[in-house]
Order: sequence, then C-alpha cells, then structure tokens
Amino acid sequence: MITLSYKGKNTFLEAVNKKSGSDVLECYQCGKCVSTFPVSNFMDFPPREIMQMIKLELKEECQMANSTWFCLTCSACSGRCPREINIPAVMEAVRHLAIEENYHPDSKQVKNIRKFHEIFLDMIKRYGRNYELRMMAEFNIRTRNLFKDMHLAPKALLKGKIPLGVKSMKSAKAIKKMYEMADKLEQQSK
Amino acid sequence: MKKVTYFPGCSAHGTSEEFDQTVKMVMKTLDVEMEEIPDWNCCGATSAHTMNESLAYALPLRNLVLAEKLSNDTMTIPCASCYQRMKSTKVHMDENPELAKKINTAVVGESLYEGRVAVKSMLQFCYEDIGLENIRSKVTSPISGMKIACYYGCLLTRPKAITQFDSPEYPMSMDKIVEALGAKAMPFDFKTECCGASFSISDTDVVLQLSGKILEMAKESGAHAIVVACPLCQSNLDMRQGDIEKKYKVKYDLPVFYLTQLMAMAFGFPKEKMMFAKHIVPVDGALAHIGEVIEEPKKPAKGKKAVKAESEVE
Repeated sequence: MITLSYKGKNTFLEAVNKKSGSDVLECYQCGKCVSTFPVSNFMDFPPREIMQMIKLELKEECQMANSTWFCLTCSACSGRCPREINIPAVMEAVRHLAIEENYHPDSKQVKNIRKFHEIFLDMIKRYGRNYELRMMAEFNIRTRNLFKDMHLAPKALLKGKIPLGVKSMKSAKAIKKMYEMADKLEQQSK
Repeated sequence: MKKVTYFPGCSAHGTSEEFDQTVKMVMKTLDVEMEEIPDWNCCGATSAHTMNESLAYALPLRNLVLAEKLSNDTMTIPCASCYQRMKSTKVHMDENPELAKKINTAVVGESLYEGRVAVKSMLQFCYEDIGLENIRSKVTSPISGMKIACYYGCLLTRPKAITQFDSPEYPMSMDKIVEALGAKAMPFDFKTECCGASFSISDTDVVLQLSGKILEMAKESGAHAIVVACPLCQSNLDMRQGDIEKKYKVKYDLPVFYLTQLMAMAFGFPKEKMMFAKHIVPVDGALAHIGEVIEEPKKPAKGKKAVKAESEVE
C-alpha cells in the first residue's frame, strides 16, 4: 500500500513541468491517451497513470517503472489529448530525470533498451554515423544473446540489406568534442 | 531546374540504399538538382533524445548549420526519423534563440545557426514543391492495376506542431502521388500507426505486435503491396514480416516498396535499377498486377424497399 503525505510542494511535478514544457496538472484523467496508445501491454503503468503518479509525487514508483522507456515518441496520444499535453515530452522528462538521478529499473527489457541506445550513441561517437551491422553485433554481445536475429543474417547479408562496413565521416573528431560539450551542458542544466 | 539541399542519413548507406538510389533517379527526372551536405553527421535518431537532450539538439544542429553554408533555401530528407529530428530541432531553435545559442556551443568550430533553411521530408517536398501535376507529366509507364496501402508511420505527419504538413490522423499526400502514378491507393486505417521503430533490435516483440497489426490491416484493405517513405518502417514491415507470420501463424506476402521505387517504375526506369534484390519479401507477385484492369465494385442497385424506406424518411 502507498501512503501519501502532503508536503506542501510537489518538486517532482515542478521538475517534470519545467523539463517538458507542459503542465501535467492539466490532465483530467480521461484516458484517451491509453486507448490511443499502441504498447500499453508492455508498460507497468500506461501514460494516464504516469500523469496521476506525477501529480501525487510518486517519484520513486515513476522512475522505477518501465513505462517511460517504452514510449515510442509516436505522438499519437498527444495528438488526441483534449488538454493538449505533450505526453511524449512528459515521458521523456521523467526518463531524463531518472537517468540524471541514477534510477535503474529492474526490468530486463529496460536494461536492453538502455543498452541499445548506449551502443547506438557510441557508434555515432566513434564514426559520426551509425554502423548498423556492428551496432547489432555489439547489442547481441552486450546483452549476452549471441544468436538473436541470426536467422535473418543469411538473407539480410547476402542480399546486401545490411552492408558489412560504414562510410564514416571526415570530421568525426568534431562529433567527439560535441559529445563532451553536450555532457557539460547537461551537467549545467541539472 | 530546382536546386535543393540533400541529407541522406545513415541508413542511405546501409539498410535503405535503394531509397537513396531511387530518390536520386526520380529527382533527376523531375529536374531537381540535389546538393548533399558535405560531411554530414548522424541526426542522433531515437537514442540521442532518449538519453541526452543537449546531444539530441546538437547533432541535428550541426547539419542545419552546414546546410546554411550552401545557397539553397530548402533541405529535403528521405528518412522520416532524420527528418523528425532535424525539423524538431529547427522548430525549437527558431522558437528559442537562447537555447539555440547554448546548443551552438556544442557544435564546435562551426558558424552560428540562423534558421534560414526550410526542412522538408522527401514526401513533403514531392507533394508541395514539385506538385502532382509535375509528377504526373513524367509518368511514361503507369503502374495501373496495382492496389496499394500507403503507410506514413508516425514521424512524417506528427506531431502537427513540428511537421506542419498533412493530417496527423489520415494523411492523403502519398495516396495522391501513388494515384498520379496510375496505381490505386486503398482506404487504409493504419496509415499513421507506429511500426515499433528502433524496438526492432532492443525489444523485438514490440515490433512484431505493432507491425503485425499494420500488415493485417493492409492485407484486409485488399492491397497488393505497402508503400512507405521511411527506412525503419520498411525494414520492420519487410525484414520482420517472416517473424510476424511465424509468431501469429498467418501469411501476408506483402512486399514493402519505397515511394520513390514506384515513382521510378512509373517514370520508365528499368526494373534492375530499383534494387528489388534487397527486399526480403519478393516483389514480383505485386508487380505482376501492373496492367490489370481494376473493376470498381458496382454500387448495389437500390431495391424497391430501400427506395421506399428513403422516401419515408424524407
């Protein structure tokens, strides 16, 4: 059971509103987002519940749920939201706060999703562009699932669907510097 | 002759090489000269905005700044995801010059962003800047007889505030282009549902579920094939189709074309140039319908009862 205590100020709500540029308090819980939403069955809490949890300052529960990691940013929900809340931006704000404050949801899927994004960003840092085959291989290695999608490999590789190499860019160094600067900007905005 | 800045995106050198190639062919026929941004970088895609907001703006911003060095007023992007990142960055930077200044410091060694270049998806550029009349005038071998489900995905028309193009719920621009090529665009309700995007690798079940529904609806519409304008939609619907058929014990056999492949076909380019060999689902079955006559379903003749009932209502 969750016990709520009134502390006078909901700092979580304030942080989410500031980051997302939307006002979560506008949500009147109609649930249109959930009926639009294509992946409810994968989420611990659908967007409508996340909205309410933010209002109730259930920060820990929000941050440890897999929900924000499953947001596809397809904007179907926000397109239909009668209160015109930018729901994907809210989901993203919660996720960014979770990353900043080192929350790591226990879900294996979230760990995989996070690893995928880290590998993808690592490819760009190294080559300035995405090296598709290497990204997939590293994902399989780092998630210890070596044979994932191997049944696609003969077709995809023989047909040239996924090329073996990458045309990396000339000024890849500029991208490395950009990563350093972006990290500094993130630190400042905390 | 029109001139436009071109941002191919990473997948143009990889999974969607056939998109890149056919875009170039089609644009040449349409008298458009494309100037590629020199030494462009990855837009950051889903991963950057998932993990790091500043990076998610900085990566596209570098490309926007480089695009301003060229003299064209419009940039066009085939990949829907690159387009979304670039346009979203442009809209946010234009609205918030302070933020633009801040992010610009991460674009090391490049000039300041001015916001001079319009950003359009390939679909939007074809529809707005080239126009249906121009497209129609270049058609030499119409692809009539083919029934097509036009799938836009989430990023070409949504969110409305960012894309400022077509309808977020039921867009028609691609349907109209396809009809200009002679094919029949089928009514299709899952035009803008999400295919699952990058979850293809990180959590494949999501894609099997979402793309499975899209294939199901496309089949139900009576289409011979799906047409897309996004590399990730193409690879999810094409490369994962076998997995979907296996999981849900169904058979779709729906090839997934890029819009520009069909345009190139209708403009009379030989089949070998379309790189159909890269498709996982074979395309020949769908192409065999070209030249068939599609019979319009006859409207049921009004029976006496129906007429009577109507007049009673009046």
